[in-house]
Order: sequence, then C-alpha cells, then structure tokens
Amino acid sequence: MSVYDQNKKRNGGAVRGAAFYDLDGTLMGLNLIHGTLFAFTNIGEWSGRVSYVIGLAARLPLLYLAERRDRHLLNVTLFEMFKGISRDRLTMLGEEYCDRILMANMYPRAVEMVAANREAGLEPVLVTGSPEFIVAPLARRLGIETFAANRLVYSRGLATGRLHNPVMAGEAKAAWCAEYAGANRISLGASWGYADSHYDLPFLAALGHPVAVNPDRRLLAVARSRQWPVVRFDKAAGIRSAGGIGPGAVEDWLEGKFDGAARG
Amino acid sequence: MARPEAKLKELKPAELKHEVGARRDLVVTLNRKSEPRLIPYGEDFLFEKLPAGTRVIYPPPPLDALPDPDLAIRYALLHPLNADPLFAQLNPNMRVTIAIDDLSLPLPQMRRPDIRERLLNQVLQTLADYGVDDVHIIIATALHRRMTESEIRRMVGERAFKQFWPDRLYNFDGENRAEIVMLGKTAHNEEVWLSRRAAESDLVLYLNINLVPMDGGHKSVAVGLAPYQSLRHHHNPETLRDSHSYMDPTRSALHSSANRMGRIVNQQINVFSIETAVNTQMYGGMLDFLQKNEDRFNDWDRLRLKGFRWTLGNMSNDLRRQALHQYAAPYGMTGVWAGETETVHREALARVFQQYAVPVKGQSDILIVGVPYICPYNVNSIMNPVLVQCTGLGYLFNMYRNKPLVKPGGTMIICHPLRDEFHPEHHPSYIEFFHRCLAETNDAPQLSKQFEAEFARNPTYTHLYRYGHAYHGVHPFYMWYWGEPARQHLGRVIAAGCEEPEVAARMGWESADTLAEAIAMATADHGRSATITYLHLPPLVIADVE
Repeated sequence: MSVYDQNKKRNGGAVRGAAFYDLDGTLMGLNLIHGTLFAFTNIGEWSGRVSYVIGLAARLPLLYLAERRDRHLLNVTLFEMFKGISRDRLTMLGEEYCDRILMANMYPRAVEMVAANREAGLEPVLVTGSPEFIVAPLARRLGIETFAANRLVYSRGLATGRLHNPVMAGEAKAAWCAEYAGANRISLGASWGYADSHYDLPFLAALGHPVAVNPDRRLLAVARSRQWPVVRFDKAAGIRSAGGIGPGAVEDWLEGKFDGAARG
Repeated sequence: MARPEAKLKELKPAELKHEVGARRDLVVTLNRKSEPRLIPYGEDFLFEKLPAGTRVIYPPPPLDALPDPDLAIRYALLHPLNADPLFAQLNPNMRVTIAIDDLSLPLPQMRRPDIRERLLNQVLQTLADYGVDDVHIIIATALHRRMTESEIRRMVGERAFKQFWPDRLYNFDGENRAEIVMLGKTAHNEEVWLSRRAAESDLVLYLNINLVPMDGGHKSVAVGLAPYQSLRHHHNPETLRDSHSYMDPTRSALHSSANRMGRIVNQQINVFSIETAVNTQMYGGMLDFLQKNEDRFNDWDRLRLKGFRWTLGNMSNDLRRQALHQYAAPYGMTGVWAGETETVHREALARVFQQYAVPVKGQSDILIVGVPYICPYNVNSIMNPVLVQCTGLGYLFNMYRNKPLVKPGGTMIICHPLRDEFHPEHHPSYIEFFHRCLAETNDAPQLSKQFEAEFARNPTYTHLYRYGHAYHGVHPFYMWYWGEPARQHLGRVIAAGCEEPEVAARMGWESADTLAEAIAMATADHGRSATITYLHLPPLVIADVE
C-alpha cells in the first residue's frame, strides 16, 4: 500500500500540513539519558548529586531492559528517578541545559530544514519523549510554538516521579498528532514526520510523508521496505561557529545561511 | 617521428568502405521463417517471434575507434577550432574551472580509463605545465544526483582524484544559493543562472562525451552547471512538446532554448569546449551477440544467449541488478574536438550521426521497443516506472529525424515488467510523484501547474539532493514532461509483459501479459494490414524517416 494512501487525508477538507519532529537523535545528537545525567549532576548539594547519579548508574541495566522492551516503559522508569527534585530547579536546569548543551548539539541541517519547512508553509511541531522542562526552552529558542513532551507530575513543587498521561512514546505520539491535527484543521496526509527510532513507527506511519532521520537498524529496514526517504544529519559545520550560543544564535545562523547573494 | 596529424586520420578510406558495406542490412523485413528477435525487457531479455512483415531497424555497426585516443586529445588541444590553443590561453594567476559530464553517460558505463579520465589527465598536465594552480573540477550534475566518492574516483581516475578530491573536485549544487549567480536574460526572457565558481573563472573547460546527438554543445555548460531557475525555462511541457525530436537539435525547442542561454554564458565567460564522440561498441566479448542480427546467429551465439538468459533468470533481483550495472562497455572514441562551443559541437554532431543514422522509408502503425535496465537517471539504481516512461516515450520514441517512426495516432508497444519499485535514496520525490501526483492527473501542463513548484522547493527533497544522493525534487516532473511529444503524437501505449497493470494504468497506458497479446491488441485497432516496426536495441540507432 502506498504511503500516499488517500485514507490518511483525514479532517474533512483540511489541506494545510504540519511538520512533526521527534527531538532526540532527530534534530540533535543527544538522548534522554544525557539530559537526565545533566540534571542529576547539577541539582544543588553535592550529596544529592551523588545519590541521584548512583541511583541512575544502578538503574542502567533496568533502563537497558526497558529500552529493549518498550519505549513507554523506559520513560516511566527513567522519570521515576526525578522524584523529589523541585520544579524551580528543573526549570532552571532546563534553560541551562538548553543553552549550554542542546543548542551546541543541534544538527545544523536539521535546524535549516525546520526553517525551510516553515517557509514552505509547514508549521513545526515537536513531538518528543523528552521532559517538558527541557523541551519548552528549546522550542522557544527554535521559534516553535507547539510541542508535545512528557510532563512530570509535581506535588507541592516537587516531582513525584510520575508522568501525566499521555506518556509520549510510540502510539501515543501518533494519537497526539491525530488529535492535534483534528483540532487545528491540519491534514495528516499533507503532513511530514521526522524521527529516528523504530519505536516511532506508529508516529511516522500516521503521517502522509514520513522521513527516517539517522534511523536505527530496524527503522532503516522499514524505511527501505516502505520506500520512505532516509535523511542523514550530522554535526558538521555546527551552529557554534556562527558566534556564540544564545536565544538569537539560531536565527543569526539561519540568516547567514540563507543570505546568499543570489537571493537578492 | 610522424607528426600527430598523420596519426589522426580518424577514418581511413578502407575502413570507411567497410563501414558502408556493413550498413546494407540495417532495415530488415521479417518473414515466417525469420528467427525470434531479442528484445530488452528491464533486467532481462525477451526472445520473441515477431509477425511476418515486421520491419526491424538495426543500429549501424560501430565506427572504428581512434587508434591512439591520448594522442588525438593532445592534437585537439593544440589545434582547436575557432579558438586559441589551450596553452596559449593560460597564465599562472588565472582561475580555471573544469566541468565534466556526470555518470548519466555513456550507458552502460565505459571500461577504464574513462574518456573523462584521459581528457582530464591531458588538460591537468597542460595547466600544471603553465603554472595554473587555481583549478576546480566540477561534475556538471545540474539537478541529477550527486555522484558518490567511488563513482567519481572511477570516472576521473586516480591522478585527478588524489590531487583534487574533495576540496577542488566536487558535484555541482544547484541549491546552494550562495554559489549560483544570474548572468542575465535571453531575448525570450529566460533567466540564465550558473555556478558562481564557473562564472567567476577566467577560463571554463567543459569535457564532454556525446553518446547521442542531444548531448553536448550549449547543453553542456548552460544546463550542466545550471540550477532549477534556469532549467525550468526549457524543461517544461510547452517547450518539450515543440521538440521534433530531441535527437535533432535543429528541430528541438529544447536545444534552441539551451543555445540561447549558452550564448549568454559564452558572451560573459571564456568557455573552451572539448567534445568527444564514442562508437556503439556497447557489448563486446562474450556478449557481442546482443548486437547481432538474429538471423545470423550461429550455434555459439544461441548457446551464449541461452546461458545469458538462464544466468539472469536464476539470479536474485539485487544480484542481477548489481551485475548488470557493473558491466562496463568497451566503447571506442571516434573523435575529439576542442575550441569554440558551436564549431566544436557541429563537428561532434556530424560524427555522432555518422555512427547512428539509418535511413528508413515511411512510418508504421505500430512501434515496438524494449526498455532496458538502464537509462541516464538510474545508473547503479532502479529503473522505476517514471523512468520507464521517460526511456520509452522520451528517448526511444525520439530516436528519429524528420518524422517519428510511428504514424500520428499510432500505437507504441513498450516491453518492460513495470514494477512499482523505486530507489528511495536516489529517487525519493519520484515515489510521491508517482503515488500522489499521477494518481490525480497525468496531464503534464496540469502537473506542472499544480505540483511542480511544491516539489521544486520541498525542503526534504532539497536536503536529500544537496547532502544525500537524490535527484532533485522536481526531477520526476522533467521525466514526465520528457514523454510529452510522444503522448501528443501517439494514440495508444501498451506495456507488454507488464507485471503490475495498475502501474501502467496510472501512467495512462494499457497493459498486456505478453508481447503477442500486445500486438494483437494493437492490430485490433489498426487492422490486420497494420505495419509494425521494431527498433532493435542494443546499442542505439537514430532513424532518418523519409
């Protein structure tokens, strides 16, 4: 069956598309564990840091097994470890992580594609399993208004270790996209989706234009068999070389990128 | 020591006599006792009996190759046409850009050393002798896919590769907005854009291979180093509809447009063209029977044919494809000319027609062609249905001068399995084009109006073209437009041996399980006295239809 199956044109006469992006491994070369480690090594008292880091190390085998079985389970298991950290602290760490680490690890050509898709009329939407306190500042810096991320449950300002539903993984991402498209008169058939993992298969398959980005072995096999485009992003010619990382850095870099003499 | 000129009598009288003699039986009318005919059928061959009375047009035998191609190249550089010799144009402080044809020709790829390697070695040596250091080599891909490192290495040879790759030997990028410039507009309001490096060079050398007469001339620089902004002026349904045929540059609106643009380029840039022509020696050695008249097959030929078909039939699809694409043809160079673009191209064209042209009397009701495993856009890749359409209706239909081989409203039978099979890395936009655009319409002007701009500017396809190995997003449209003159001319197209009828239907074609069934369908239309022509490939032939 074709990926351009007309059944995917849901939502009545909606013809406007959107571009849905996974984050980790798709737009940048880092993963969830890295962000978690950054948070745990920066949470105030050194004794607290040690206990969280030791806790993370002790749970690595469990996380590995969870990753092998189900991305949903991995998310639940990982975010349990945030229990007891304050919302303020996480918000501040999210901003810092975004400035110091994430922006330097964005794939330049991925950022370029987000901008080009936006120019082509595809509204960018992040759909990721990363926590909201990391995704929100990143989305702000990229100028992306809409995102779906995992949201920690807080009680009296402290993380409880639980996640709000839906937990953003696998089919939940696809369901969220369908709901979002329905509410905003967006056609899934005219939408593009970018992801790197075979766990994102339901998410990609829900969209008219799925693209495998730096795919893992299993997603690559699926992409080949379904004739999906396969895109490779890398960190060559990084953003940092544009002169500093800050809220305006990406915009400056993009401006330089597109400001060729031929354009004018 | 003999002067180079003495060695460069490219066709001695005796050889010419032999060649004329060998051309006697190029148009053969079959009778009931005639042998079955070999017909390319994708990655296989059919061996089918054709109805008595069928006219078979065979390609002329290969012209003799130049005995010493390197010497001939040196001679051409020293004795250019309507231009100063290359060495006389050089000084150490100048900026030189060498542009070369990409892997879309010759087909199949040629045995090493590739003609481009020979040309490059001589040119680079001359540049080095005169102290020219600022030299870039650009592969003139236009909107074709970027060649891979190993493909480039094979094409340019070790010397150029080691010295220039990757900083000064690279693929053209028509989407790098900082690296293209507009040179001006033609009297027909066509924008002429070009590679900035070429535009800012003191001298641009273009190294070309003419496989067929539509290659070369102004089409080299003005098309090969041009982005979408330029190509859209001639790669469109209106211009292509007005080209009769692509193989006859004097009657091709496509070539007229490219010539207008090329003249703007040559007014502003010092272009030194080097064109070569090759003979039709596509299959040699154990496969030389593929180029023979089947009525002259001996037992050894029949045995080899059986063995060849058995081997192909027992290979996996991937292995068969790989084996076929790895085959390298023993082409011989039949001429080389250097100098001013139009003068050089005139000489090259004359030699190319000398190789391919066959006089044919009258048109027929039905034209049969076999589409092989390869076309200019699927080297080391898959021949997808859009490319089958381009090869059948675009290239093979256009293998004529004066009039098409088939009458207006006639039927063209295209032998190919026609599978819904694409190479996602090389042809990603083709997949969407086939499944989405053709599902809505196969009318070229409508496709152009409704979808072309969207595909041309699609960020994912642009990314894959620039950094992957994908054809540009707009390329499938061009392939579709390429078939436009044939669609305007023909009454019916039947895919013979079609495995997936829905693929044929999507392109507006009918389908038949076998060639015999396709011929029966066609004769039902044209009557039992319908005239049938089979254009025999390989190699290639151009019919001068009276």
